[in-house]
Amino acid sequence: MNRRLEERRAYYARYKRDVKSRGKSFFPVAMFHDTVMSLLVVCLIVALAVIWKYTASEGTTDADSGWLGKLYDEKSDPGTTNFVPRPDWYFYFLFYLLRIFKWPDSVILGTVGIPTIAVLLLIALPFIDVSPERRPLRRPVAMTAAILTIITMGVLTYKGATAKEPLAAENLVLVPKWAAKQGFADNQTAVDGAKIFAQVGCMNCHTYEGAGSSNLGAPDLTTIGKTSNRGVAGFVDYVSDPSKFGNNVMPQFRDLGADNLRKLGTFLQSSGTCSPKTDTCPAAGGQ
Amino acid sequence: MAKQKPSRLDQLVYLLMYPLNWLEERSSIPGRSGLVGGVKYFLFRKVPSDISWGHTLGSAALTAFIVQAVTGVILAMYYKPDPNSAYESIRNITDNLWAGWLVRGMHKWGASVFIILLFLHMGRVFLYGAYKYPRELNWIVGVLILVLGMLEGFFGYLLPWDQTAYWATVVGVNLQATGPFVGPFLGDVLRGGAEIGPDTLARFYSLHMLVLPGALIALILLHLWLVVRIGVSSPPWSPDEFGRPQPGPPPAPRKGLVEPAPRNGRLVAPVGRGARRR
Repeated sequence: MNRRLEERRAYYARYKRDVKSRGKSFFPVAMFHDTVMSLLVVCLIVALAVIWKYTASEGTTDADSGWLGKLYDEKSDPGTTNFVPRPDWYFYFLFYLLRIFKWPDSVILGTVGIPTIAVLLLIALPFIDVSPERRPLRRPVAMTAAILTIITMGVLTYKGATAKEPLAAENLVLVPKWAAKQGFADNQTAVDGAKIFAQVGCMNCHTYEGAGSSNLGAPDLTTIGKTSNRGVAGFVDYVSDPSKFGNNVMPQFRDLGADNLRKLGTFLQSSGTCSPKTDTCPAAGGQ
Repeated sequence: MAKQKPSRLDQLVYLLMYPLNWLEERSSIPGRSGLVGGVKYFLFRKVPSDISWGHTLGSAALTAFIVQAVTGVILAMYYKPDPNSAYESIRNITDNLWAGWLVRGMHKWGASVFIILLFLHMGRVFLYGAYKYPRELNWIVGVLILVLGMLEGFFGYLLPWDQTAYWATVVGVNLQATGPFVGPFLGDVLRGGAEIGPDTLARFYSLHMLVLPGALIALILLHLWLVVRIGVSSPPWSPDEFGRPQPGPPPAPRKGLVEPAPRNGRLVAPVGRGARRR
């Protein structure tokens, strides 16, 4: 241990001696390099801003988007829930991690566990890799770990960027199929609830009969009426404010209004309970 | 005194230092303010002669941060952190203000450039093994700068108060609330209540433009101070890497023998002694 410390100290003593004897002054050559690079950075930022502005047209629809995206989105509206949440690109890797870890058992790994471990490992790096060797080819373990990290981050970022969110219109087409398969086609309230379910953004995180996308660890809801069996009113309470039930990930959908929530609750309670019909399958048109 | 014509470089240095010398001469303790000394130390400190463009990534990231600070200050003059007017104030900046779109665009894209440069800079430091003794502390400071830089992105994302901003933040804050022990508490503190609303926006604005930039500036100054004090590492594959043990006899005694030679004009004795030693 002591020998290693002495070795490191000897390196730094040699370094200081070398810098003193054959180093060059920071000004002007190194400073010139820094200045050129800084100017390039400023030019790059200005160029991105100009391209962003001049390839996009004013407006908030996707058609107004330029090479670098829209100038502005629509004003936030807590009432509309058919919006797909998207983080900035440098959080895409986290965004995708949440698709890998499923709610509720392991979602904490994706939200807190892995990011915390990653930061701690980064901070601890100089204390894990204590050899004085600095040449990349003689640090096979460190270099392999670095390359694997870069590949992992790259793949997660790419997957997060290209993750396809289902469109409301695509999901809506599926409603008659669900109604037939789940056996609630004769219950108009449940069918209306299915339409709401398909459109208001539930399927950005939940899957149903193999459609939708599994996001943020949200569960599949194909048989939620059987597995959860909260009853219509119970589902309405849950969806209105999931945090009351210890679910802090799912947003509140209270803004849908009582009528829509009742339809949605009927649909959820019907899922998995109507075919074959059990006594927890909600009656047609009823509460 | 024989007048020697100063070289072009000397003239440039004189011009650059003139305002500082002026200030120093007029401060209360002439020659002791440390201003001229500090700047001279910074500019004329010796660095390894084999450093190259790879070493400019850190100052490039600093430049991107300065762009963020300047454009951020301008945006703060016109932005209104209130749900009823935040979105409209952004539209106003983009559409009506002279060059407002440029300032907003530079702030928006400068954030990405800053993050990319932080990662590239970190990659360069990793490749050079420059996080090793005695630069461990500066590596840790750098990691903290990266984490705070990404948090800046997270808190700044809500400010335009558009659909993307709102819903990404709903999910983001809810995710933090899944954390153990402090998670739900942290979620409530960030939201300033049960739902994302006026209090959330004010909190995010304060964090984005006061707390985090303050912490970042302090960490960046510490980072730079450590860089200047400890010195940058030369590329480990460089043929005359600074700090690498020289092959052959230890160089220290040889240097001691050769150095006095020209001063004393006694060339014979040291060389002879050196030769005998070998």
